[in-house]
Amino acid sequence: MGRYLLKRILFFIPTLIIISLLAFIISINAPGDPLDRMVSAQESGGEFSTQTANTAKEKERWRKKLGLDLPVFYVSLSNAATPDTLYKVYDDNERTALKRLISQYGNWENIAAWNNQLHTLSTAINMMIPDTSNFAVYGKNVVLDTIIEAKQNIGVLMYSYEDAQIQLRLNTLAHYAATYPYFAPVKEQILKTKTLYEQLTSEKQLAKTWLPAIHFYGHNQYHRWIFGDGNWLTGKGSVDCKGLVRGDFGYSYETKLPVGNVIGDRIKWSLFFALTSVILAYLISLPIGIKAAANKNSPFDKTSSVILFVLYAMPTFWVATILLMSFANVEALHIFPASGIQPVTGIPDDANWLTTIKLRLPYLILPTIAFTYSQLAFLSRITRVSTLEIIAQDYIRTARAKGLSEYTVIYKHAFRNALLPIITVFSNIFPMAISGSVILETIFTIPGMGEQVFHAITTKDYPVIIDVFTLTGILTLLGYLVADILYAVADPRISYASK
Amino acid sequence: MSKKNSDNKFSFRKYAMKQFKHNKPAYVSVYILLFFSVIAIFAPILANEKPLYIHYKGEHFFPAFSFKNNYYINNADGSSEKIQLDIADWKQMQFDKVVWAPIPYTPGKSDRLNSGYKSPGGEQFFKDKSGAVVPIPGRFRHILGTGSRGDDLMAGLIHGARISLTIGFISMAIATLIGLFLGSMAGYFGDNKLTTSRGRFWMVVLGIFVAWFYGFQARQFVLQEAIKTSGFTLLLQLLFSIIIVVAIIFLFSQLGRLVGKLPWFNNKVNIPVDGLVSRTIEIFHSMPTFILILTIAAIARPSLTNIMIIIGLTSWTGIARLTRAEFLRIRNLEYIQAARSLGYNEYTIMFKHALPNGMAPALVSIAFGIASAILVESSLSFLGIGVPSDVVTWGSLVNDGREKFSAWWLVIYPGLAIFITVTVYNLIGEGLRDALDPKQKR
Repeated sequence: MGRYLLKRILFFIPTLIIISLLAFIISINAPGDPLDRMVSAQESGGEFSTQTANTAKEKERWRKKLGLDLPVFYVSLSNAATPDTLYKVYDDNERTALKRLISQYGNWENIAAWNNQLHTLSTAINMMIPDTSNFAVYGKNVVLDTIIEAKQNIGVLMYSYEDAQIQLRLNTLAHYAATYPYFAPVKEQILKTKTLYEQLTSEKQLAKTWLPAIHFYGHNQYHRWIFGDGNWLTGKGSVDCKGLVRGDFGYSYETKLPVGNVIGDRIKWSLFFALTSVILAYLISLPIGIKAAANKNSPFDKTSSVILFVLYAMPTFWVATILLMSFANVEALHIFPASGIQPVTGIPDDANWLTTIKLRLPYLILPTIAFTYSQLAFLSRITRVSTLEIIAQDYIRTARAKGLSEYTVIYKHAFRNALLPIITVFSNIFPMAISGSVILETIFTIPGMGEQVFHAITTKDYPVIIDVFTLTGILTLLGYLVADILYAVADPRISYASK
Repeated sequence: MSKKNSDNKFSFRKYAMKQFKHNKPAYVSVYILLFFSVIAIFAPILANEKPLYIHYKGEHFFPAFSFKNNYYINNADGSSEKIQLDIADWKQMQFDKVVWAPIPYTPGKSDRLNSGYKSPGGEQFFKDKSGAVVPIPGRFRHILGTGSRGDDLMAGLIHGARISLTIGFISMAIATLIGLFLGSMAGYFGDNKLTTSRGRFWMVVLGIFVAWFYGFQARQFVLQEAIKTSGFTLLLQLLFSIIIVVAIIFLFSQLGRLVGKLPWFNNKVNIPVDGLVSRTIEIFHSMPTFILILTIAAIARPSLTNIMIIIGLTSWTGIARLTRAEFLRIRNLEYIQAARSLGYNEYTIMFKHALPNGMAPALVSIAFGIASAILVESSLSFLGIGVPSDVVTWGSLVNDGREKFSAWWLVIYPGLAIFITVTVYNLIGEGLRDALDPKQKR
């Protein structure tokens, strides 16, 4: 047993790695820049220029805090022309432009020089303050407009990789430099940019773009997400992120709080419904399944089989909607409230547990029915099938031949063995508690994990979704482990040692 | 056990067919499914606001069948009139002759006069040719009522059938391809039947890496451009990439043959196919599939194709497991031994001789798989995740009904449609299982 369990746990590791990799791949492919999400809502007063400066500073802070300044993964496959430090270009569009330039020309030194020159030029143009005497000659609007145009052109150039586009923008800049004397301070820079581009396009080194190259990065985003930014084993020296293995789930885009807090608040309701419904479902379905199996082909078996078959095929969201429509309908039967888990006014602070239950109960009945229903049909069917299989065995015939009462035969001899497949269902409680039932919790607006997942999806709060996915995976594995142990408890014949 | 007809050769296939026909619910289900499929195939003709046929100003048109979006009609006085098919107000126009679709509405198209949930039996309105609002004539009644925007429910149901059946079918086709391939490989080769020389093994591993680089990494910008241009270009470029990949792997594999003749490299290595596939199945089993589908659907652009692919990629494990078990049995049968002793290629034996016999158990899994794929899709569209908002599906119709509880028709009818389809597939699955299971032979 011990050895088997150890083997089982060891096997968890590759599974967990794959689940985490999958989650990671999904998360880095999520559209949009996380920093924009983190910083956009930040309200900073003051002038526009100080605002942009603040935003940039704030972005820099969050970039470090989220570890976005690191390379993505342990290895990266690229062509040999690409340098291993390209990840340090944080702007996605700029990085793409650089990558495409590399794939077009292959000469990184020239491309880097061109890119650096663009940044120098951009700073130079941003610092340009035209002499007001120019206003009289060219008109104030023209002067200001040309400068803004120039700034925009630089911005476009940083994201451009198509030759025609770059030529067009460069020519515009050169035209400004030639025509307007107030461009004199940057004229030199503009001409230099142009020559650098000419060099870049003339000195192609395409051979390198057709050779594969692998780069390795010890410290990367995935590593940081799993192990934190400190020592990977002990966690010492971590600043912003302790890592998934130490229970640090990162930050929610929506609330900017650690995801762990969100999960902690929400999980109790999902756990409550998962447990209640599973217990109720067992209490109802076990007797039904066993009775049906014990009296095979009796009217009870036939009717219950048909009913369960029908129930089994009904989508949960449909049943839940029908329940609401029938019993929480303001225009018809209005027995239960339609949503939430407590009265809108909330529960008074001084209420004792009895009044709390009394206030909450009407809110809990319909969801409990829906949650129980979603497991009932499956459980009864599985109980019936497994009991049927057991009853056909020789030892049951022997028990009957000994003259034992039918009750003893079924409940003492058959039941225990029929339990095995049912245990499997029990192991689903853990994952159910963490991911909740997205559908049911959304329909009944229960503040559980499922509703949180739905909310996260609609607000594109990816860290929450990814973490719930990873956690559910981990808990599913734990569930299997528990099921294995329970198998051994329920059936002494199962000996894992021999495996 | 069955009695063999002495004059007829016993065929398991015929026998299973007979068993299946004995199972009345399953047999009836097949016909119900056929009926649903016919509805799904002819959906654009069954429910369409464009008339099937019009005779207008002396010319004949078939708007519902037309690929064009504009009709130009020459008037008698020489001027020309343009009809824009997608926005024309067909019911207001004066035709010489017109044949409407049985349900003269397109799903999801709003009908302002009947917006705000009009019940099937209740008052509905209609704008007649003179522009006056009158009680609706029987021919144009929304026979199952309308949704929030006055969209016809019956039309939604008919087109929803098309989407549900397509999703079930295509996603399971993907799952079947993966499941059959992996399952038969695992079952047929087991852990120690697939051997190769060390040199060839490492050459192929290297080949996969190189193929990935030249097939996808080096062509990533070409592929990105193709995504922007059109689906066809993308398909063409993807095909090109795949050809490169296959060619490179083949090349390396042939090189590996040569390398495999060198000392040290000629040692045999075992490829534990069964172990690898079984572990992969276990990993997929530990994955919270619905959450995974939700996650990907939330991040990818909403599209039905994406949903089909995701469901297909996550639901092949059942098929693979059953096929593996069947192949473990089949590989020891005499006819496989015979084929092997005749010197057939292993892959020929596997896919040509063993696979047709090993597919039966997978059929059961496919039937149940389609049922659950339809359930997953309807749950997703009920939540409004991953499905484009302008696509009307059974799930999205129920979701519309959730907004207003008195609109029972929007909940009951689409729900029933989902329920019937799922039941039908489940019944077929059960019927297949009973018919194909030798233990149950009567």
